[in-house]
Amino acid sequence: MSAETLTLVLVVVTALGFDFTNGFHDTGNAMATSIATGALKPRVAVAISAVMNLVGAFLSVSVALTVTNAVVKTFDSSATSATDALTVPGDVLLAIVLAGLIGGIVWNMLTWLLGLPSSSSHALFGGLIGATIASLGWNGVNWVGDGTQPDGVVGKILLPAVASPLVAGLVAGTGTWLIYRIIVGVAARFTESGFRWGQVGTASLVSLAHGTNDAQKTMGVITLALIATGRWTSLTSIPFWVKLSCAVAIAAGTYIGGWRIIRTLGKGLVEIESPQGVAAESASAAVILASSHLGFALSTTHVATGSILGTGLGKPGAEVRWGVAGRMGVGWLLTLPAAAIVGAAMWGLGNLFGLAVGSIVEFAVLAVVAGYLFTRSRRTPVGAHNVNDEWESTTASPNTPTGAAV
Amino acid sequence: MSDAFGQDVRLALDALWKVLLASLILGAGLPAVFALAIRSLASGRVIIGRAVAGVLLLVVAYGVVSGLLFIVASGQGKDVSFTHVIPQITEKPA
Repeated sequence: MSAETLTLVLVVVTALGFDFTNGFHDTGNAMATSIATGALKPRVAVAISAVMNLVGAFLSVSVALTVTNAVVKTFDSSATSATDALTVPGDVLLAIVLAGLIGGIVWNMLTWLLGLPSSSSHALFGGLIGATIASLGWNGVNWVGDGTQPDGVVGKILLPAVASPLVAGLVAGTGTWLIYRIIVGVAARFTESGFRWGQVGTASLVSLAHGTNDAQKTMGVITLALIATGRWTSLTSIPFWVKLSCAVAIAAGTYIGGWRIIRTLGKGLVEIESPQGVAAESASAAVILASSHLGFALSTTHVATGSILGTGLGKPGAEVRWGVAGRMGVGWLLTLPAAAIVGAAMWGLGNLFGLAVGSIVEFAVLAVVAGYLFTRSRRTPVGAHNVNDEWESTTASPNTPTGAAV
Repeated sequence: MSDAFGQDVRLALDALWKVLLASLILGAGLPAVFALAIRSLASGRVIIGRAVAGVLLLVVAYGVVSGLLFIVASGQGKDVSFTHVIPQITEKPA
């Protein structure tokens, strides 16, 4: 096996690993409110979300080869053949992608351990940016795009990160306020069952949209790596096994259910009732769909969090735990630079040993770090059995339910 | 770089107000219609209540189906046009 092939295999495995973390990190975006209100049993909710993600991933037949281009100048999208399209040598690109993916995974797992919903796309982009700066220098990064559409780090990451929670919060707040005005005086037996159905529908829609968008990113990264090694030449299609493995990885991750994050979103920010759940998920679905329709790249996580906050603000008398929201805000600010630092460090480490050995060393470091973070999580487990326990506002997040033995 | 930065901000704000407008109509408007349907079901006047609720739920269903269609279309690199009331899958403008 040549050095390049070995690195390619490690890139593919790492990319699928990232896709898996992407799945469990984002289960809460769609399902946290339905689990919190009891509209769906926790296990049923993650199962529905997993199926919707799987279906969504298969729906995406368009090619997201240029996904990395949002932040790294790797790809000339006006080129007509795959081999001409690369603007950096294949082995350089492989090294950047591997280090970047590891940066994304490490940050995703750390924020999951802390119960912080943070954007998986930001983590991936952050890792890639760090690895690119380390490898190609500042000019290798696509900071602001070419001025024809919102692009680059500013247009695709920074501006949407500020704007999306605000927009989603405003929409969810308005929806919540309207709903509670309309159902004043209506007996609870009508509102409970009605809005629970509404929750299941809207949450499924969000899961489906998530599968279509997020699985496509990993498919794009893997296909890019295949092009970099000359194993794939088409610019308009991706290999079926790539689509299948990415779809399964994100669905499996979703089914595992990032319970810590689900708990923070469903119980930590606001105490949610069914009508609020409908308002929050409708707002999330509408904002995600409208923005992708208009070419504005939003993070599902930022949208979902904004919606849940908004639905807390829109209901008179509801309490928003601003301390929890503040922690999330800090997490969001740190995501890009933190993943970038890990990505850059990984690239540096790999570079010491050369492509093949370096890749193995990087992969080993990832395995050790991921294993450590997982072991830490077992000390204070959060799962389907205790995800909805009372939120203790005095203890720090991750707010592990008291009495959670094992 | 600062010019390009300003251009990025301008383009983003341009898209943003459209996102906000569309989301308010679909993301806050449709749940409100859904709430009206539930209120109508609970009104006590069984036949009229159910009829009104049925019409309102059809409006919500139209919104949901449009959303689904859009997810399917965008997965295939296509767009959805709403100019003829019934949403249609169209080629994405280059």
